[in-house]
Amino acid sequence: MKLVAQLEELLYQAQHTPKKEELRLSDWRILVHESEAVSLGIKDNTPGGVYTPPSYRQGESGEVFLVWADGKCSQAMVQLGSDDDAGHWQQELAQWRQASYEDPDAAHIPSPAPVTLVTVEDRAIHAIFSGDGQILFDQVKRWLTDKPSKAKMQGSIQTAWGYRHVRTSTGLAVTYQQSQFASWFSFDSLIGGGFAKRRLSRPEEQEGLWARTLNLYEAMQIVAPPVGPHTQVILAPSMTADMLGQFILPNFSGDRVLEGQGAFPKESFLKNKLVFHPHFSLLIDPLRPLELGSYLVTAEGVPAVRTVLVHDGRLQSPYLRIKDSVRWGAKPTAIPQGMAGLYLKHKEEIPWGEALQGVEDGVLVLAVLGLHTQEAVSGSYSLSAPHSLRILKGQIVGKTDVKLTGNFFTDLVAPTTKAALSDLDTFPYLMITTGVQTL
Amino acid sequence: MEQKAIIALVQSVLAETRGFDGYVIVRAQSRREWGMRLSNGHFERVSTGADNGFGVQAFTKNGASGFATSDVLAEGACQKLIEKAIQLAQRNEAIGTKSNSRIWEAPQVVAEEANPAQKAFGEIPLAELEKMVMTLHSRLRDAFLEGVWQTSYRQVEEIWCIGRTDGTNVSFVIPRAVLMHQGTVRDKGKAQSTLSHRSGVDASVLFEELEDHALERKALDRAEFARAVCGAPQLPSGHYPLIIDYGLAKGLAHEAFGHAVESDHMKESVLGEAGKLRKGLRVARPGVNLIDGPLPGDWAYQPYSANGLLRQTVTIVRDGVLEAGLGDVFSAEEAGMPVTGAGRAESYGHIPLPRMSNIRLLVDRLLPLAPLDHLMDEVKAVRETLIQHGELIEGEKNLLLLGYRGGQVNPKTGDFVFQCDGIIDVADPTLPIYEPSIFSGKILSALEAIRGGLGEGCFDAIGTCGKGGQSVASSGGSHRYLLMDADQQVSLGGEHA
Repeated sequence: MKLVAQLEELLYQAQHTPKKEELRLSDWRILVHESEAVSLGIKDNTPGGVYTPPSYRQGESGEVFLVWADGKCSQAMVQLGSDDDAGHWQQELAQWRQASYEDPDAAHIPSPAPVTLVTVEDRAIHAIFSGDGQILFDQVKRWLTDKPSKAKMQGSIQTAWGYRHVRTSTGLAVTYQQSQFASWFSFDSLIGGGFAKRRLSRPEEQEGLWARTLNLYEAMQIVAPPVGPHTQVILAPSMTADMLGQFILPNFSGDRVLEGQGAFPKESFLKNKLVFHPHFSLLIDPLRPLELGSYLVTAEGVPAVRTVLVHDGRLQSPYLRIKDSVRWGAKPTAIPQGMAGLYLKHKEEIPWGEALQGVEDGVLVLAVLGLHTQEAVSGSYSLSAPHSLRILKGQIVGKTDVKLTGNFFTDLVAPTTKAALSDLDTFPYLMITTGVQTL
Repeated sequence: MEQKAIIALVQSVLAETRGFDGYVIVRAQSRREWGMRLSNGHFERVSTGADNGFGVQAFTKNGASGFATSDVLAEGACQKLIEKAIQLAQRNEAIGTKSNSRIWEAPQVVAEEANPAQKAFGEIPLAELEKMVMTLHSRLRDAFLEGVWQTSYRQVEEIWCIGRTDGTNVSFVIPRAVLMHQGTVRDKGKAQSTLSHRSGVDASVLFEELEDHALERKALDRAEFARAVCGAPQLPSGHYPLIIDYGLAKGLAHEAFGHAVESDHMKESVLGEAGKLRKGLRVARPGVNLIDGPLPGDWAYQPYSANGLLRQTVTIVRDGVLEAGLGDVFSAEEAGMPVTGAGRAESYGHIPLPRMSNIRLLVDRLLPLAPLDHLMDEVKAVRETLIQHGELIEGEKNLLLLGYRGGQVNPKTGDFVFQCDGIIDVADPTLPIYEPSIFSGKILSALEAIRGGLGEGCFDAIGTCGKGGQSVASSGGSHRYLLMDADQQVSLGGEHA
């Protein structure tokens, strides 16, 4: 018997005909994942070595959220037991009861709402699991054949497929299939590229990513002149994502805003305070087909909707789980899946190729050390970025090591900040004026 | 699952591999976790969880490997998983992977270690733990009303069993518990957060805290410090004589040196040459020592490797000279170091990698420093001790870096960065406070700059090591403070443009 079925039976019974009255539930919610994943890695030019062998993972686990008859709540992680023993689940129920706590705002299971359909499954990925997985081995072989001869390559490919089940006592019963494909590679652990979506990457995407990485790697072999005090700093798309993940996304988490732990107080959202330049908007969109951040319902069973966090530079809403939405007095919103599902838009975005031509004196920052150590609430950063790329007169001319000092909130407000589109990434290049020094 | 049941599971899986002409490692794990988080006086979350599962790492007779894992322990799952692992190993051999047959040389080990916890998992009912944590949280809020406080408590029990084709069967229990206070303070339009923790192996940490309130005092001191940092100026970037606390020293030891001597990194490590550990290389002044090994009762304690070998304590740097590395059975020999049982994994579902346990940076040249209850009293004592021993570098700032917020290192280039909570100039009798600033440079220069220590050894700086995308408990420390000379390759960040 599947885990989701065991849990449904257990919780339905505890709600309607409990074995003990103190174990009576008034409401409940179940989330279960059934998944299979395969992966293969490259370490130091070796495919499938002892630290990165071809791997297979199978899992069936989830979580339950319970509201007891006295209004207390419990939540627990669950997995399929070694048997379907009903006694086992009754013991679990008793333990969950012991772990119950008062949280009136959380004790709320909404009624089902219409679900907007979005494609989150690529059948080609399913075929990998029913077949022999040759695609992974072929991709790794191609990488190793095509890589620069002197480069030491690291890389990984992982693909996953499975079911997601969400059930609630209010009648929601959603089961859907979803897939995932992620790959990344790097040369000399300095320059790399990655892809992560709910579908396989297309040949033109693979070629584009490979060509871009190769160009950057070649530029990295040349020592370039140092930066000056007026050098423009350009964050590569992955860096833009990392900066947003460190300084922006945490400050839009509803619970942090409500608890006064974010950069923006609730009043600033209610007054639609201007916090970014009016050219910028920020949204969570889980309805884009086959994107990694897309889903049909959240883990709490809330149907996917587009949620605007910042519109034309003005605060609109934090992202709100059910409990936070009750406290906020609004509907629950979309929830980002890590950084996936989050999109930063600029009204005057131009293609990166065009933007690069206009850079007289710049430095392209591909990665920094220690970003996770920076203070998210203040937005201030002091970072070292060894192995950045110098840009002079519209050309990437070589490697340079820099140190960045500034404030990311200030960067997003500045009228001098521009964005440039990348056709290989969901986040833009961000062209900022900030403190930059030679490392 | 209990320890005996896990041992039986591993034995039954191994029994099903008898017809295979290669080698198999089976890892099974049962994990239980209770956690709770309180925010501003109310429970935000109380959760319980369990995760049982096993992984099979199969090697063809030529040394190609495949790996399969499952959290489904139902009948039939074991056989399917074994078949998958063997099939993947055979596919791997067909693509010409580099073979590794070192596991055949590993010594057979049979051991069943008792749970080192004083209070068994579940001995203190969850409801009672909730009351204790709420009491501690409420006291803290009452003592610092201007702060926004979150308190969390987590206790974990991992039961591991590792079995191998050669008859090895090792089982052990890893208990861990941690109480954390996180505060956010605002002043002069700026906000700063602070995090303090108290760790151990079981619920005893709560009983101890209720008795002595040591963590509460630390959290309050750190909150006051964070408030002062809100209005503090920035330091001009530069190279300064430094005093770093033991949390930062642990970060430096772990990120900068520990990872650079792990056997799987030697081809890309700044402490490697032609893939071998640069044994005999002078990396620090005489009297500087770097040691890694499990400490009973510690957050990162693990007595055996995830490959079933005894975890050894290793002196990485002795008297300033690089002496040894952290080797696991698969890469130690190639990296020119002995096998020290360094393989650790996040769970049964992960491939073990050579990793640290508790790493400590210790020096022979030591100044005495009596521990004091309050942070700024201790900072004053640091200043007085330095003056008394002629160790304050005159005519320039002597900067004390407080609190470890994390860091990152590129082991290939030797570049490191660390971040602290704030900085105090102990050369100035008014002890001015500065905003935190990036502490960065080259790892070999940083080690070479260490000139002494202050106070007794403190090894309870805890963290989670993220190597290889896994999350594994780590810990360590040094003397209460380490003294470092100014060095042109080690700097503190800079002012805003």
